[in-house]
Amino acid sequence: MVTDPLLSIQGLSLQYATQRGAVHALQDVSLAIPRGGAMGLVGESGSGKSSVVLALLGLLGEGASLTCDALRFDGEDLREAAARLRGQRIGVVFQDPAAALNPSLTIGFQVAEPLIQHQGLSREAALARAVTLLGEMGIPRAAEIARAYPHQLSGGMKQRAVIATALACEPELLLLDEPTTALDVTVEAQILDLLEKLRRERGVSMLLVSHNLGIVDRLCDELTVLYAGRVVEQGRCAPVLAVPSHPYTRGLLAALPRLDRGRMARLVPIPGGLPDLTQPMPGCNFQPRCPFALDACGAPQLLQGEARLSRCHRAAEIEGEAWPIPEAPEAVARPIPTPLLVAEGLARSFGGGGLFRRRAGTRAVDGVSLTIGRGEVLGLVGESGCGKSTLGRLVLRLISADAGHIRFDGQAILPEPSIAFRRRAQIVFQNPDSSLNPRQTVDEALRRPLIRFGIASGEEATREVERLLELVRLRPDYRSRYPHQMSGGEKQRIGIARALASRPDFLVCDEAVSALDVSVQAAVLNLLTDLRDTLGVAYLFISHDIGVVAHIADRIAVMYRGAVVEEGLAAQVLAPPYHPYTEALLSAVPVVGAQGRAKSRIRLKGDVSSAQGSAGCRFAHRCPRHMGAICDTVTPPMLAFGASHQIACHLPAEQLAAMPLALG
Amino acid sequence: MNSIPRTLWVGGVIVGGIVILAILGPWIAPFEPDAFNVRSRLQPPSVIHWFGTDEFGRDVFSRVLAGAHHSLLMGFGATAISLAIGVPLGLIAAFRRGWTEEAIMRGVDLMISIPPVLLGLLILAVTEPGLGKTILAVGLVYVPIMTRVARAVALDLLAEDFVEAARARGEGGYHILVREILPNAWPPLIVETALRITFAILLGSALSFLGLGPQPPDSEWGLMIAESRPFISEAPWIGLAPGLCLCVLLIAVNIVGEGLRDLLDPRLRGRGH
Repeated sequence: MVTDPLLSIQGLSLQYATQRGAVHALQDVSLAIPRGGAMGLVGESGSGKSSVVLALLGLLGEGASLTCDALRFDGEDLREAAARLRGQRIGVVFQDPAAALNPSLTIGFQVAEPLIQHQGLSREAALARAVTLLGEMGIPRAAEIARAYPHQLSGGMKQRAVIATALACEPELLLLDEPTTALDVTVEAQILDLLEKLRRERGVSMLLVSHNLGIVDRLCDELTVLYAGRVVEQGRCAPVLAVPSHPYTRGLLAALPRLDRGRMARLVPIPGGLPDLTQPMPGCNFQPRCPFALDACGAPQLLQGEARLSRCHRAAEIEGEAWPIPEAPEAVARPIPTPLLVAEGLARSFGGGGLFRRRAGTRAVDGVSLTIGRGEVLGLVGESGCGKSTLGRLVLRLISADAGHIRFDGQAILPEPSIAFRRRAQIVFQNPDSSLNPRQTVDEALRRPLIRFGIASGEEATREVERLLELVRLRPDYRSRYPHQMSGGEKQRIGIARALASRPDFLVCDEAVSALDVSVQAAVLNLLTDLRDTLGVAYLFISHDIGVVAHIADRIAVMYRGAVVEEGLAAQVLAPPYHPYTEALLSAVPVVGAQGRAKSRIRLKGDVSSAQGSAGCRFAHRCPRHMGAICDTVTPPMLAFGASHQIACHLPAEQLAAMPLALG
Repeated sequence: MNSIPRTLWVGGVIVGGIVILAILGPWIAPFEPDAFNVRSRLQPPSVIHWFGTDEFGRDVFSRVLAGAHHSLLMGFGATAISLAIGVPLGLIAAFRRGWTEEAIMRGVDLMISIPPVLLGLLILAVTEPGLGKTILAVGLVYVPIMTRVARAVALDLLAEDFVEAARARGEGGYHILVREILPNAWPPLIVETALRITFAILLGSALSFLGLGPQPPDSEWGLMIAESRPFISEAPWIGLAPGLCLCVLLIAVNIVGEGLRDLLDPRLRGRGH
């Protein structure tokens, strides 16, 4: 049976005019989505994924010039018809639901608006239809929510409302641009379930743009890998991800920290960065970063293959060859961890007080105790708002604690700590753009801690700065650079070098790799692992990405609403017995190559912000294993499983131990 | 890499020209600005008297030149004063928070709630009028705005991670404010300063007009406009010449301010790819 695809893009090229000349954002991109099909579009940031979506919608800004052989949707030319079709037959969902909704209009009206606009429904009829739609999106009490304003809804609910808006006119194609990137993993799982259901029940076709291969694997049949504006690989999703053919796809997969792989296995960083798009290379544009490159790669490459297309002339030749993994430096013999940092009963609330009225504060961290040994990595996971970052700042005494004690290397650390503690305990931040002072060169940024802590000055400091740069694998000439002259990964390395300048024993890594592309993330994770091995630095490694934490941590603590609900060695936390929250969290992680896992998935209702009450178990209101009144009224005991594994739960130990594996 | 906006060029050339004329005034003026000449009083503009003469026969062009430095001094001097007092106050308020911030900001609110001309009048009423006093008064009037701008900019910057990194090194308030915050706070402050100069010149001239600035027989543009009032129908050029000069200066300074904003504020520059 030969039918025309619903969406067909052929030879799409796109240029943006800039001061530096034309940027070739897309070069000869072709893809087709059949009716009811779902195509994933993946690549690093800057690869042109979002430009494809904007081109389809006819929403490219000024200065963009588009050429293509065909851009057809159900037989119509999108270059002319895009304005008429978008919102009606093509729906779109963007990354940030908070930005996609108008804060001054009710949810119901925003869902109803396309119906009034495009289908000429009366206001009443459209609003009634909006309530039905919201209900179908899994929003409870839809009639009530329809009257609410965006700020009254949680992130997950907002994204459901955005999807309802996109689906209002029953489009045949849904464009999804990173639809779950701004959401927590448990909420992401709910949204993915919803999208899966829409595909199954309504037969909506989808184009899913994402940097997360796990999500694409769950939702899509076909996959297009984009690199620097060119399609480098295209084919059925499962085989491409199982046995990638193009070196770039292989690199992407090898760079991904995965729960199902061994801990501390070396990741494959893809060296270098995107090529200069103002001067597109005639040959393979991945060649400068490719370990398999030969001279012949300078010749133009064709996208070739039968069932699966790959833009690499060596694809067949190098099949089965692995990416070279960089050598790890020899690990120093690690002593048996003796406690370095001991925190007891740390607590901190926010938003209380106020000048004119007393308000009840939110307890961001509520009586947390933890111990980190010398050279040990404690991973701290939990959804946004659970108090991870606050805890990280509390142990460094960067914000004052309401209660609790901290001992570091046997000494009590007071609220105004000594400079000696400051030298030994440092922090690495999430956002590389914010963590460096834009008006200071790398040299100034790295020299300051050396002088501040009396480690070196003058010529000696210059040598020390160069040593630090070497430590984070940057050339000495980076000394004179300003932050805007570096890439995100390079800036993050400078942030790490600055934290290491004082030769600390302990680092708080607050989402230190979350803002980076996987290829860069792999390099930074390898670096952190090496530094731990060679310098014996201990980390409190805070992350929402369980794959990353599972990769690097010796022990893992799981936090929920200000308290640690489970703590143990990494292998113990990742295997049963689980705290019900850990179980749900692990079950929600989208994993590459885990088809058929859907049935056994555990789904949480609501999200962290829908929490009420402080009596009993914090997780009770969302717990799929809720036992009854005891969970709501009595604080659960800490159950010990062996010497190092603890779970705070009312469930009997046998029942916890009998849980199935939540991963893979 | 950043090309200088055309507005900055145009405005800069005009302001620069006026500054040069003000400095060279005593040498290039065709007449003594204070020289009476009763026989040629209230002459319309001519080849000899470019801007005509006033009721005492003084050459208006020479007087405008002589008065230029007063207007410029008031603009730049007053703004410098407001900057010198307002910026530290704003930075301290943002950094200390709590009661210090409340005290500073409520004090500033109090000052801002009094109309500027009234506040200027109040300050000048208790002392003898004069150029220095006018500059000080105008400067004080604009302290609250500088404080607010500095505080707002500093609050944003204090939330940045590099400030937290400085705290993690145990740095003191002086280091954080002067080394980490101030270098990043300059661009918005400079833009605000450039726009503020316009208002300072205008307010200074208004106070002079009311007789609270430089005293006759000194020449000052606002004062000249005030002196020209009785002759507005028979000899409009007496007031028109300083008025037009004031307009040109204000517009030019304003253009410079906007040019600086385009140059320094990346949000308005439009991010290039």
